[in-house]
Amino acid sequence: MAAAEPLNTGIGESVTRVEDSRFLRGHGNYVDDIILPSQTYAVMVRSPYARATVNGIDTSAAMGSGGVLAVLTADDFSAFGGLPCGWQVHSKNGDPMTEPKHPILAEGAVRHVGDPVAVVIAESKAEARRAAALVDVNYTEMSPLIDMQGAVAGSAELVHSDTPSNVCFDWELGDEAATEAAIAGAAHVTRLELVNNRLVPNAMEPRAAIGDYNTANGEHTLYTTSQNPHVIRLLMGAFVLSLPEHKLRVIAPDVGGGFGSKIFHYAEEAIVTVASKLIGRPVKWTADRSESFISDAHGRDHLTTVELAMDANGKFLALRATTLANMGAYLSTFAPSVPTYLHGTLLAGTYTTPAIYTNVKGVFTNTVAVDAYRGAGRPEASYLLERVVDLAAIETGIDPVELRRRNFIQPDAFPYDTPVALTYDIGNYQATLDMALEKTDAAGFEGRKAASAARGKLRGRGIACYIEACGIAPSNIAGALGARAGLYEAATVRVNPTGSVAVLTGSHSHGQGHETTFAQVVSDTLGIPIENVDIVHGDTGKIPFGMGTYGSRSIAVGGAALANALDKIVLKGRQIAAHLMEASADDVVFKDGQFSIEGTDKSVGFGDVALTAYVPHNFPLETLEPGLEETAFYDPKNFTYPSGAYVCELEIDKETGVIDIVDFHASDDFGNIINPMIVEGQVHGGVAQGVGQALMEGAVYDDNGQLMTGSYMDYCMPRADDLPNVTVSNHVTACTHNPLGVKGCGEAGAIGSPPAVVNAVINALGDYGVKHIDMPVTAHKVWSIMNANGN
Amino acid sequence: MSVNVSMTVNGKPVSAEVEDEMLLVNFLRDHLRLTGTHVGCDTSQCGACTIHVDGVAVKSCTMLAVQAEGSNVATIEGVSDGETLHPMQQAFKDNHGLQCGFCTPGMVMSALDIVKNNPSPTEQEVREALEGNLCRCTGYTNIVRSIIAGAKEMEAS
Amino acid sequence: MDIVGERVIDAPRDRVWDALNDPEVLKACIMGCEEIEQDSETELRATVVAKFGPVKAKFKADISLEDLNPPESYRLVGQGQGGIAGFAKGGAAITLEEVEGGTKLSYNADMAIGGKLAQVGSRLIGSTTNKMINAFFDALDEHFSAGS
Repeated sequence: MAAAEPLNTGIGESVTRVEDSRFLRGHGNYVDDIILPSQTYAVMVRSPYARATVNGIDTSAAMGSGGVLAVLTADDFSAFGGLPCGWQVHSKNGDPMTEPKHPILAEGAVRHVGDPVAVVIAESKAEARRAAALVDVNYTEMSPLIDMQGAVAGSAELVHSDTPSNVCFDWELGDEAATEAAIAGAAHVTRLELVNNRLVPNAMEPRAAIGDYNTANGEHTLYTTSQNPHVIRLLMGAFVLSLPEHKLRVIAPDVGGGFGSKIFHYAEEAIVTVASKLIGRPVKWTADRSESFISDAHGRDHLTTVELAMDANGKFLALRATTLANMGAYLSTFAPSVPTYLHGTLLAGTYTTPAIYTNVKGVFTNTVAVDAYRGAGRPEASYLLERVVDLAAIETGIDPVELRRRNFIQPDAFPYDTPVALTYDIGNYQATLDMALEKTDAAGFEGRKAASAARGKLRGRGIACYIEACGIAPSNIAGALGARAGLYEAATVRVNPTGSVAVLTGSHSHGQGHETTFAQVVSDTLGIPIENVDIVHGDTGKIPFGMGTYGSRSIAVGGAALANALDKIVLKGRQIAAHLMEASADDVVFKDGQFSIEGTDKSVGFGDVALTAYVPHNFPLETLEPGLEETAFYDPKNFTYPSGAYVCELEIDKETGVIDIVDFHASDDFGNIINPMIVEGQVHGGVAQGVGQALMEGAVYDDNGQLMTGSYMDYCMPRADDLPNVTVSNHVTACTHNPLGVKGCGEAGAIGSPPAVVNAVINALGDYGVKHIDMPVTAHKVWSIMNANGN
Repeated sequence: MSVNVSMTVNGKPVSAEVEDEMLLVNFLRDHLRLTGTHVGCDTSQCGACTIHVDGVAVKSCTMLAVQAEGSNVATIEGVSDGETLHPMQQAFKDNHGLQCGFCTPGMVMSALDIVKNNPSPTEQEVREALEGNLCRCTGYTNIVRSIIAGAKEMEAS
Repeated sequence: MDIVGERVIDAPRDRVWDALNDPEVLKACIMGCEEIEQDSETELRATVVAKFGPVKAKFKADISLEDLNPPESYRLVGQGQGGIAGFAKGGAAITLEEVEGGTKLSYNADMAIGGKLAQVGSRLIGSTTNKMINAFFDALDEHFSAGS
């Protein structure tokens, strides 16, 4: 038999994306693209006040407006529960976190600008909008709690009147006494106060939802812009609306970016579901962008004091970080986990620091809820750590690269137990750092700096070494830490009679390209062309119960489930092939799409085995079932630990303070890589968001709780001209505990880049003696420092 | 108030009764079911709704449907030649110039406009010309690559 | 946000004072004013359609007149609800001074806005407000020059 043509669609190939053809033709199917027969439109009435009592709502004028079908307020939702929080954190004294009710629509009080108060449903969106303007809400405005320190201190005023204070939890991790002792006895302690700025995720597709109740069978269908449709079905079905799972189908079709903000269960999903049954027609809600700004969960928003203690040789002895983390007005779905278990556990970074202690207070304020945004806790940890290390280098006069090397966990030290509860399975931090330095010509920096100076520019170079924990998560660990859900993933591999394959996965693709990478895993394992593989995701009516996509978990958890399901397919295929070749299954090997008996010329193709499975005319039915379809649920044994080193070189214009990033290199260790092209794209996007955080983005509230950066006019996101060409390189240490040896790559860029950029700015401003500038490091801030008295 | 509008969209004449306040983007999406043109903001800043009106790139959220009366409108759905992608679309695919796909139609329509005005743009020219289009996924590196590659391919063909 | 300015109106102070206290004149001079009702000597209710950049709304405003010192000075305090567009509230100290050529009206106002108005319209509040103020005075000038 002639050797098979190589497929070039397996693991490790930069296969162009399957999904691109429909997106490039404008044939994507996003929620707002769907128009169901007799569909109606919902428009939300939202609070213009950050804090007010709602004395009454007069809906009569709105009800009388043309085309209006219903105007609903909290009274119409009294039979239902509030929006649940999926993670319970305990305070250091053992008390569970404060968990105030998060009503679907405001019940007598509003707690942030954008808090939904009523919903108008009409024949057209224009009519719903007109009527929404007529809903007369009688508010009594109260003075809002906006800044966290004020909210913690001013205990007399409460965001939620039925709670003892505005502190949601007072959490700690690590050995406080050992850390204190090490700091007290250290040769040098570097101390830094910093802000991790509040960000608005801003996926380009605004959130949308359609509720569709079928009176014939009593089934609800919810189309929603979600990263995890099964999680929404579980949360909304079981905890909010008391709908049994089998009567609720959640479909997340093409989703235009998520970055975490589409993980959470939002009120509008419950509203359109209830309203559809009420009026007997489908109800669609689509956010305006200005609505997204005040209703999508925001990210970050930490105030931190960090201390790093060293001995005389720059060896880290202890780290202590004290943080106020903004929860906003209500607890969003995974909010409490972000500044605690996704943040405190990462404070060892890539270093051997023996004593670490962190205390985090979650704080309620009259602002939009804060929850996971690309990186979720890990960018905050990486930022404070890599900033304080860089400052320590300045203070001690040790080169920042050298200081990091002195403290790295060594490649032979794995598995490595950190003092903050994690066990890193594998890594090589020196290797990615070496690679990043080489790719960015570290030796030539002084020459480039002089050339920049000759052009009136201050050149700076910044390095950051990050680690993250992703592939979330071992369910037993997550459960012990307060998760109210399991965090496995599921995959079904359905081989069709003619040998094509459908994969039904619980992972969800909203830009990550799973329809390509998951198909590559199938192509690689089964030796079939990628064209013969269909990846089905995003519909609870089709896919097995899976937990969706966030925390860079898709390939590490969903991909692992797929690999295990494929193993089961191959195992059964060998049994079928053994039957066809009248051999023992133990003697059948599977390679390049052929089942063969070693040492003989006997073989059968995958397609023949598939057909036989479904046409079992001569099938050993007593020992083998017909069909070729297998499901695997995969629950990881550990987190995965991507790591890397990022280098940023930038120029600051001395006249204007304008910062221009001239070189940015990301050297990552993601373990094995399925599709290098897609991985590179993920890093590019993550870095763009990290650079955005470092230099441009920031959600700003005024004292009245009004969001001043509430549109693309004022919330400054990177455009093409703001960013450099980002280059990437990879060093591979394969993950030791999942079948593909993969770690995940979705968040790394956003984790490693903010400190690299800010370190470069501080480096460039070396002559001005500035120790720190809070993000976003705008030209105005830089100019002000350069032009301050004495400079 | 309802008014009648007629225009040519992707080479086909269309005509409909619409509310006078209807935006062109809503006319395309809701009336003609050409949902490739997306709405990503409400302040005309994201460029996801970029189309061509009489050969010029326009944000279709800034125009009323009635303002396009008699015009020749081109949307993303009309760019490819049947099953064959336009060289610019192919360049986006080959260079991984898209991820979630939401900004993509606007990016491709802007790219075609950029190349029409400047058949072989430099990287910096492309970056500056993309001023009106936001992407949150790609970091633009691969979009810029795609447009330069697409321009080359268009010039060659 | 503070808004400070002055304008000389070609009319005697008493007549300017009267005009500023006459709902009919105010209705005619305030851009977008659909109705204005006087509930008492010092309380007015007005409906004004205003557009701040992309945000257009009908504001229902309650206005009270305080510290009345006719015909020299008073203070306006108001709060307007614009439904889903948000709200505006503020106060203005107004003084009338007899000068050559008529009456100099000085105003010193502070204003706070909320909701969508603050979110997307805040950068345009200053220019829109100035435009409305200028239109008001132009209309007032016209009112006096028309001799009514």
